[in-house]
Amino acid sequence: MTLPKAPTEPKPPRGYFGNITDTVVSTAKGMALTFRYLFRKKVTVQYPEVRPQLDERYRGIHYLEQELCINCDKCAKACPVDCIEMDATRHGKELEWHKFQLDYQKCMFCELCVYPCPKDCIHMGTEYSMVSEDRSDFVKDLLSWTGLTEEQQERIEAAEAAKAAKLAAKKKAAEEAAKKEPAEGEAGAEDPQA
Amino acid sequence: MYELLLSTAIALAVVLAFITVAAMFFVYAERKVAGWIQHRVGPNRTGGFAGWAQSIADSIKLLLKEDLILRGADRRLFQLAPAVVMASAFALFVVLPFGPGLIVADVDLGVFLILAIASVTTIGVIMAGWGSYNKWSVYGAMREAAQVASYEIPLGLSLMPPILYFGTFSLKAATEAQTGSFGMGWYLFSDAFWIAIPSFLLFFVAALAENKRAPFDLPEAESELVAGFHTEYSGIRFSFFFLEEYAAMFVFSAVGAALWLGGWNFPGIHLLEPGSTLLLVLATASFVLKAFFLVFIMMWVRWTVPRLRIDQVMTLGYKYLTPLSMAMALIAAGWEYVKHLGAQA
Repeated sequence: MTLPKAPTEPKPPRGYFGNITDTVVSTAKGMALTFRYLFRKKVTVQYPEVRPQLDERYRGIHYLEQELCINCDKCAKACPVDCIEMDATRHGKELEWHKFQLDYQKCMFCELCVYPCPKDCIHMGTEYSMVSEDRSDFVKDLLSWTGLTEEQQERIEAAEAAKAAKLAAKKKAAEEAAKKEPAEGEAGAEDPQA
Repeated sequence: MYELLLSTAIALAVVLAFITVAAMFFVYAERKVAGWIQHRVGPNRTGGFAGWAQSIADSIKLLLKEDLILRGADRRLFQLAPAVVMASAFALFVVLPFGPGLIVADVDLGVFLILAIASVTTIGVIMAGWGSYNKWSVYGAMREAAQVASYEIPLGLSLMPPILYFGTFSLKAATEAQTGSFGMGWYLFSDAFWIAIPSFLLFFVAALAENKRAPFDLPEAESELVAGFHTEYSGIRFSFFFLEEYAAMFVFSAVGAALWLGGWNFPGIHLLEPGSTLLLVLATASFVLKAFFLVFIMMWVRWTVPRLRIDQVMTLGYKYLTPLSMAMALIAAGWEYVKHLGAQA
């Protein structure tokens, strides 16, 4: 096996005037370079006014598509640091949300909560700045939920009314059946006597 | 007597104000140049437009800082050092010809005086380093001593060609000799330009080393010696060292401008009536702008060339600059002799 050669051979030593020429030439080259740099476009991002352009896959603060979420708790179970907490009450097909909290003091932005979601409703966002003087501010509720909407209320009422009606109908049917049955039973009972 | 005192006081006040304002401007300019060379924007917040008030804010901060003196420090040396350094930088301005008639004292041996006073700064730096009770400070002071002692020779010798050419040590007389036919009789464009250009480069490099500017900022060497000789200084004493650095930069740039770049002369100066206010203003502006340009080059060099090692500094000083500047002085003398012979023949 042959070792790779050094990319550049060391230069032979220069004489006295060679050194002077080298110094002057290399300094002049360097100065020319920095002079060109003087007028280059600046790379500084003026941070609070201008935000940096982030990658789409950047893992920032989560956002939740609440209408899709089914409160299945899979993300909370996947979370290695247990920073997700959720709670909701189910009214038929409607969910009455209580909380969907992320504790960003614990969260390490590992994105493991995103993969198990069956509805693909939790995502990593591009917001990254969290500044506060109070630790409790880092426990964030991702719900945009502000109570049930009228529409939902109506749907829930309608569903509940339908359910009640169904129940009532069932009950009625059962009652009727029960009414009929004793009559039949009486008839049946009379038979042996007959 | 009274009038003399008054005029001296006025001159001192003007020079002090000039040093302070110029140093503040240079600090701001240095940070901007550093930023631009590194693709940054430099200070841009303080004061609204382009951070113009940054230096003012910095100086207020410096003045408000606590003045610390170490328990083990040599108090007298420690307290005297910034004053020595500042006084020498201050005295350098006395002989600078800012404009026709705008000179504090036209000394016959102006160039010589500048070299002599500039060396006093070194004593102040050594005092500061020794009095600080700090290893880094002593290292910085020793480096300063070694460096300035070795670069004094090439600095003085590289000033010989223009002195020989103009036949005077006075900066004012040298400037007046460069008016030429239309204000462009600068030494750099004279018949001896082939001596003037290399000697100017030698002077500039030696002046960088004399002012302990990068790449010769070994007495400070922040990556090795914290801050070198002024590690233990704070508040206003520290700001004196800071002021001195920028004042000395300006003075050496001004000497370069006066001897090589025609001083206050500018193209078209012959059209203006001698002694008029317009001439005075334009001439002063031209002198200050030339000096500022050389200061800008010093900043540009600082943000281009990395710091040398102490042995490299010594090699450059003794093996290259000293013999070369000596050769330039001899060549200049020979050229003057040849011209003299030609004039006689």
